[in-house]
Amino acid sequence: MAKKKSNKQQQQQSSAQQGQSQSQKSAKNSDKNNQDDPVVDAVPVDAPEATTTSIMELLQVDVGDMTKVKQVLDETVAAALLDGSGGGSFSSADSFSSPGLDEDYFLDNIKLAIMTVACIFAVIAQFGPIPFPESRILLALCCGLYFVLSGLLQLITTYLDQDCILRTKPIATKGDSASKKKNPLLFQYGLKVRTNMLRFSEFFTVILEFKGMENTPMVKETWSVGNFFDVDGMFDELGLVERVEKLYRRLEASDYDESKKDK
Amino acid sequence: MIKEVIDKQIFELKKLWQNKRQLTFQVLNLAMIVFSALMIWKGLMVVTKSESPVVVVLSGSMEPAFQRGDILFLDNSVVNVGVGDVVVFKIKDRDIPIVHRILKVHTKSSKQPNGEPVVELLTKGDNNRVDDRGLYAPGQLWLEREDILGKAVGTLRYVGMVTIALNDYPVLKYVLVGMMGLFVLTSKEG
Repeated sequence: MAKKKSNKQQQQQSSAQQGQSQSQKSAKNSDKNNQDDPVVDAVPVDAPEATTTSIMELLQVDVGDMTKVKQVLDETVAAALLDGSGGGSFSSADSFSSPGLDEDYFLDNIKLAIMTVACIFAVIAQFGPIPFPESRILLALCCGLYFVLSGLLQLITTYLDQDCILRTKPIATKGDSASKKKNPLLFQYGLKVRTNMLRFSEFFTVILEFKGMENTPMVKETWSVGNFFDVDGMFDELGLVERVEKLYRRLEASDYDESKKDK
Repeated sequence: MIKEVIDKQIFELKKLWQNKRQLTFQVLNLAMIVFSALMIWKGLMVVTKSESPVVVVLSGSMEPAFQRGDILFLDNSVVNVGVGDVVVFKIKDRDIPIVHRILKVHTKSSKQPNGEPVVELLTKGDNNRVDDRGLYAPGQLWLEREDILGKAVGTLRYVGMVTIALNDYPVLKYVLVGMMGLFVLTSKEG
């Protein structure tokens, strides 16, 4: 299935100079198994989209390099939830309705602040005006504080961050009918997006759960990496963005997989 | 092959430049790594009370005990150095520290202002034929305790060759640091 899809996309590239929305339509069509007649997707001459001539570039990744694969997948998942443009290789004004969440930089900022303070101590220790033998106490202080901060940073990364790749803020209610249909928890809590891919495993798991909530319910989805990469390592960003968006819609509709409590 | 690697690195750098927050994070990461090494060095300085807790042997004057390229760990917190100790000392107004062994120690009855007795030291390299009086400043016959940077308490064979190479060919320094910096900046934690 993955191979067929990539063939479709290669066809789009070779029959170049088609509008962006054109190639996206074809990608969607391939899901419906429209494989017998690819030429059906011809653009009418007067269609406004025909004037945009960007060719969709596919990112190529060395599939043997597991860290790079996970990194690319993580980035796309994060971008899909934030603004739906999957890494910026095509514009976000397209047929996807992206969740458009806001990233929560709180923990990130804390980490940056700790690092900056530690660096300041290091600079004081190095460029302090007092010559060596007398400055022993100051040096000892700076070194001690530096290592304490460094240890703190490591703790945060190991225990608070874990496998989380993205944190978002709760969305603002607009009070309209669309908001009422959504999961009320979305307005109270931000999301925590965790991903998991074991070394040498082909399965990539994405978990969406609520941040700051005890026994948070979650939605989880596991896919084989083969859905997104073909043999040459060409990456199907659109496919992943679609699936992530579907996962988010499930969370919106409160269609949970299991809550942690039930384990 | 190398061109591909360079192109990939340049691509990653460009991507990094667009995302300022990520760039700050990576730069601080790099700074933390460098500063960790620096802080360990300063920590050693504090513990051993020595200005230069780790030195590299440059000459062959202490063979067969120490060869050119050995790393020495110094400890300056000892109060009295005795005959037979290997010490690193600096002659006043000279830059390069010297590693030799103590040959003679004279403890005078007169006391210094800080209450410690005056101690005079004479050194000699194991592989040299004469003592170091020829190396001292003109008219100086003895070393004092404050000239000593530290007593050698540990050694690592030949590990210091890297430092000697970096010193002889300064270009290597920039190449090495540049490459390290590049790889840290463009690699992200998996």
